[in-house]
Amino acid sequence: MDVDMIFKIAAIGIIVAILNQLLVRSGREEQALLTTIAGLIVALMMIITQISDLFSTIKNTFGL
Amino acid sequence: MNIISICALAIVSAILSLALKRHNSELSILISIGATVIILLSVIEYVLSSIETVSTILAQANINSEYIMILLKVMGVCFITEFTCDCTKEAGLLSLSSNIALAGKIIVLITALPMFENVLSVVTSLSGGGTIE
Repeated sequence: MDVDMIFKIAAIGIIVAILNQLLVRSGREEQALLTTIAGLIVALMMIITQISDLFSTIKNTFGL
Repeated sequence: MNIISICALAIVSAILSLALKRHNSELSILISIGATVIILLSVIEYVLSSIETVSTILAQANINSEYIMILLKVMGVCFITEFTCDCTKEAGLLSLSSNIALAGKIIVLITALPMFENVLSVVTSLSGGGTIE
């Protein structure tokens, strides 16, 4: 079971939030935005495989 | 996965999602969606075994297997629509969520239409064989 994925996403979120605060305080708003987007993409790539797994399982189970 | 671990996973992911909501709201939504996906994936294997049992019982009762397939398809459409509807509602997109619900209802109606046709043909044959205009 992939319960670890939840903790990984939470860790990515905390790290991105800290980096965001640091970069905003040091006056680099563009890099802060890029960091947020990169963290979002990494988490999305992790979760999108699970969603596709769920959808294909439902498709096979119910014969859609 | 038993119900204790499912509930524990739900509580932990709710707390993590709440902790991230102020600083990183996109990732908090992703956490809740991920927890939903994991819980559904762990539960759906039980659905598979119960479907086999139900179809065996219905086969013993001499019910047409075509109807069982239609029922299963409708159930799957409802499952996936409900999941997507809740995820979009969680993200705050209420209009998209109600659109998905409407699309699910239309797909269910289209899937169940052959059963209505069969019922209508049975009714017409009972009422003297007239055609329905």
